[in-house]
Order: sequence, then C-alpha cells, then structure tokens
Amino acid sequence: MAPNFEKLLALFGDAKVEMVVIGGVAMNAQGSAYVTFDLDLCYRRTKENIVRMCDALAPYQPRLRGAPENLPFRFDAETVKRGLNFTLTTTLGDLDLLGEVTGIGSYDAALQTSEWREIEGKKYLVLSLAGLIQAKRAAGRKKDLNALPELEALRDLKERMGGKE
Amino acid sequence: MTRAEHNLAIALIANPPAGSKLAAAKEYGVDLTLLVENLQLTTTERIRKLQSAAEFLEKVRHSVLLTR
Repeated sequence: MAPNFEKLLALFGDAKVEMVVIGGVAMNAQGSAYVTFDLDLCYRRTKENIVRMCDALAPYQPRLRGAPENLPFRFDAETVKRGLNFTLTTTLGDLDLLGEVTGIGSYDAALQTSEWREIEGKKYLVLSLAGLIQAKRAAGRKKDLNALPELEALRDLKERMGGKE
Repeated sequence: MTRAEHNLAIALIANPPAGSKLAAAKEYGVDLTLLVENLQLTTTERIRKLQSAAEFLEKVRHSVLLTR
C-alpha cells in the first residue's frame, strides 16, 4: 500500500508534533523526482512531544515493519523513550520515525538545516537540500549515493537561477 | 517561475556548464528535464505527484506479484 503522505503529515501537524520531514518526501518537496514508499520524520525527543506523537498515531495501528504479526508491540511513550529510530507500518502506510538522522544528528540539528514548506495548506519543516545532501552522503548506502547526483544538480540549478524556484 | 527563469533553466540543462554538478548529473543519467518540471510546481503539487507515482508503482508491483 502506498502511504497517504498528506494524511500522515497532517495527523502529526494537527497534533503539533515537533518534527522535520526528511528522506524521500523531503527530496520531492525540494524538487526531486525520486519515488518513495514511506514517510520519514525526525522527531524531537522531549517527553511531551513523544506523547503527542504516540497519541496522534495510535488510531492507525502502528506496528514494527517486517516483524511477525504475532510479535507483541506497543507503540507508546515508554517504547519510544527506550528506543530511538522506528520503522513502522500503519493503516495510512509505512512510516519511519527517527530520533537521529545520520550525518545530521538530532531534531535540533535537523531544525537548523530545515525550512518551512506548505503542503495542502499546512506548514511543515522540511530538510533543506544542503541537509539532504549531507545526510545522503553520510548514510553512504548505494541508494543514498545514487540520489546524490540529482540532489546536487538541483542545488546547482537553483543557485544558478538565483535561488529561485 | 517566470518565462525568463524557465528559459534560463532549459538553457542550463541543455548545455550544463563544464565541470558543474548539472553536467555531472546529466553524465550520470539524471533526467534534468524532470527537475525543471518539478521546480515549476508548488510543494503541494510536488507531493501530489509523488503520491500519484507511488500509488501507480504499488499497483504495478501488486499485479506483478499476482502473476507469479
């Protein structure tokens, strides 16, 4: 099932979850043609934010992606506090919630290299092109490195056009 | 994006400056026309386009699995 990107974003946005959109959706927001099948978010690891995030997601039956159906799993604030990065599947689609982003760091670091973008009338923090390039380079997997030429071309094109879109 | 900006973008991707990241991406096989196309869209339109592509590819993947 392809994720419902807009609904997933809105449920966290409406709940005022402090987060930065990263990964493939951020790439698309910046102009990339990359197709992704999940939504990646970097969330702030404060107690209040984790509670807001878990409460918002609860109705959508989050469970660990790729884990056996019968594996006991409860996505709540205690679980999130004990962990860091979660790859989940939900009734709205696949979702990765990251407490830290490779090459960037925590939410506070991601915030420093993010910008506001409007999606379906709501504003979200989205990782900048520079941040995406930094993260992809640091992650270093083949699929990350394959994305670099396109992202660097996008940055080059935007710069040569005076930063305009 | 104004018409003049669009023309500049088209000129840049048609003949990327030597040694530039644009030239490197073109050499790597990136379709630079898609980038110009996307830069003309709003962020909402870009995410709608992604949604549509992801749904289409999921359907293709599903139908391939069914035929195996």
